[in-house]
Amino acid sequence: MEQGVGKSWRDPELLWKALPSVLLQTTCFVAPLVMTFLLTFQRTRDFQLRWTWDLATWTDVFSKPHYWTILGHTLVMALACVAICLVLAFPIAYGLATRFKTLENEIKILVTFAFITDATLKTFGWVLFLDKKGAANYLLTGLGFPPEMVSFLFTDWATLLGMVYNLLPFAIFTLYLSIDSIDRNLIFAAYDAGASKWRAHWEVTLPLCKPGIFAGSVLIFLLGVGVFLEPKVLGGGTSPMSAELIRQTFETRVNWPLGAALTFVLMVVSVFLVLLFSRVLGMRRSGFGA
Amino acid sequence: MIIRGGAIGPPPFCFNGGSKRDMTSAPILDIRDIHKDYGSYQALKGVSLSVRQGEFIALVGPSGCGKTTLLKQIAGFEDATSGTISIDGRDMAGVPAAHRPTSMVFQKLALFPHMTVAENIGFPLKLRKVAQGEIAARVNEMLTLMQLKPIYLDRFPRALSGGEQQRVALARSMISSPKLLLLDEPLSALDVKLKKVLQSELKRLHRSVGVTFVHVTHDLEEAMMLADRICVMRAGHILQLGEPADIYYRPADAFVAGFIGETNLFPVEITSRAKGRVRYSAGSFDDASGELPEALVAEAAQGAALMNVRPELIRRIGPEDKVDCRVTARVTEVFTKGGTVQYRAHTSQGMDLAVEIQGTSRLPMEVGEEVHLGWNKKDIWVLPGGEP
Repeated sequence: MEQGVGKSWRDPELLWKALPSVLLQTTCFVAPLVMTFLLTFQRTRDFQLRWTWDLATWTDVFSKPHYWTILGHTLVMALACVAICLVLAFPIAYGLATRFKTLENEIKILVTFAFITDATLKTFGWVLFLDKKGAANYLLTGLGFPPEMVSFLFTDWATLLGMVYNLLPFAIFTLYLSIDSIDRNLIFAAYDAGASKWRAHWEVTLPLCKPGIFAGSVLIFLLGVGVFLEPKVLGGGTSPMSAELIRQTFETRVNWPLGAALTFVLMVVSVFLVLLFSRVLGMRRSGFGA
Repeated sequence: MIIRGGAIGPPPFCFNGGSKRDMTSAPILDIRDIHKDYGSYQALKGVSLSVRQGEFIALVGPSGCGKTTLLKQIAGFEDATSGTISIDGRDMAGVPAAHRPTSMVFQKLALFPHMTVAENIGFPLKLRKVAQGEIAARVNEMLTLMQLKPIYLDRFPRALSGGEQQRVALARSMISSPKLLLLDEPLSALDVKLKKVLQSELKRLHRSVGVTFVHVTHDLEEAMMLADRICVMRAGHILQLGEPADIYYRPADAFVAGFIGETNLFPVEITSRAKGRVRYSAGSFDDASGELPEALVAEAAQGAALMNVRPELIRRIGPEDKVDCRVTARVTEVFTKGGTVQYRAHTSQGMDLAVEIQGTSRLPMEVGEEVHLGWNKKDIWVLPGGEP
């Protein structure tokens, strides 16, 4: 692999072949990023963009703790969502991959359906369920519980519930694929070597799921950092998260440079966390295709 | 052409490793009437097998014969539907694989891809809570035994060649000093040359460690080379259990005879059995009838039977030569196989024969040639006829 990398820069044919991909990446990904970055050095006055080239926006960003509180809150919510999703998804994916082998196709169809059902619809469904006069309380009262047991709609917990609910399929799917691809004989080999079920799990299944855990976590984390529907609908807009803040900055306050700066901060911090996570999980250890 | 001197009995070349095993002690592995059903499919239909301490036993048979299923029962990966398995005198019912004194070498090796070679080999000891230093010492011991270089220790299995991975898998299986080493066709994926190297390696390992080996394979040649005894299986039954020469020269039935290498089966009719002599009549070769000592006829052979003549036991004869049995045939095909030449010939009775003759024979045969072929009675074996 390494020889290939070294060679590619000097191989005109390879460069030629890479050109369409390079062009696409540049126009659709790199160029907008650069433009966003340039935008942070401008100002808006009277709802008009002025090309000023100064650091006013950045001074603003770094001097107001408000933005950083929201960013911190967003990251905590996203990380909590990742943790909860992994814990919930692992047993589900494990069961699906090992115990219900015969239902494999049905399971895949169901998981796909969970993906393609509109998140807005599902999120509003939760409002009906969690409302003080909603389905959950109605059922619980009917069962003899005191009224209004469920009253956490429009709090962070409701937001988290919605996030977990909407993002869980990503964890199930990635974990399912990685557990499914583990050779059953490796588990047998662990038993044969003298491992108990738990030990085989810990020493073999879990480490071999690392790529799935990593992929699932990164997906959920990045999607979780960007949620705006759940905090608005289930959280009631009481404690906004970064995506909502950025939307407001662009749309309501029409402060594009500030919006761009906030976007940049969120992006850099997220990417940094993902890289850190990959280092912690040891994804570069040569056991996996790195 | 191989012409064997003397009567049937010990073969001229010694198959079974040479070392004499203790025949009197209790069997290390005792399998009694094992049945295994998968739903309505019966994978094992009453298998009993007793293996002596230090023996090298090969389970052979076509795919689906139940040999791997049997191995899984011994290893403890699956529970038998009925029957008992005892290892070293202890009933294994309800004992999980982790607590059995067995160790398996898997078909695809099942080396842990996320562990280095050293971690792989040391894994069984790590699970037994052996101290780090001792694990390292034992791993090095295994490395020497398997003739692996110490530089491999920190590599991952996928960075090793097929043969090296094989040695690592063996080392991992041997490090916990199992009483039984179970091998599930571990050599089947290797190329011929490497296979030969590892076969002799296995043989050497078996001799040096004295552990009992149970080796599953569909490669008969391999079984013949390695095993002290061969157990031929088919459709969940054991068809025959015996020393390689026994299986080769005295197969229990037509299936074993055909499975164990190319052969010629001449239909004969057993007319009488008395005073150690068996009389038969034959329409399949030129002699109408004949007589054989009872030692050359399977006990189960009655009435319609088959005379088993290995290709290498048939030779070309002149019309005047004296042999016990003869047949006239037309040569249809010639294959040169290095040291020997294989012929296909069509007899005047309408049978297709396989004949194998040394390449240096003074009487080569040409395609289309009409030849006289003959064999001696001491080389043959009569087995029960009909479909088994």
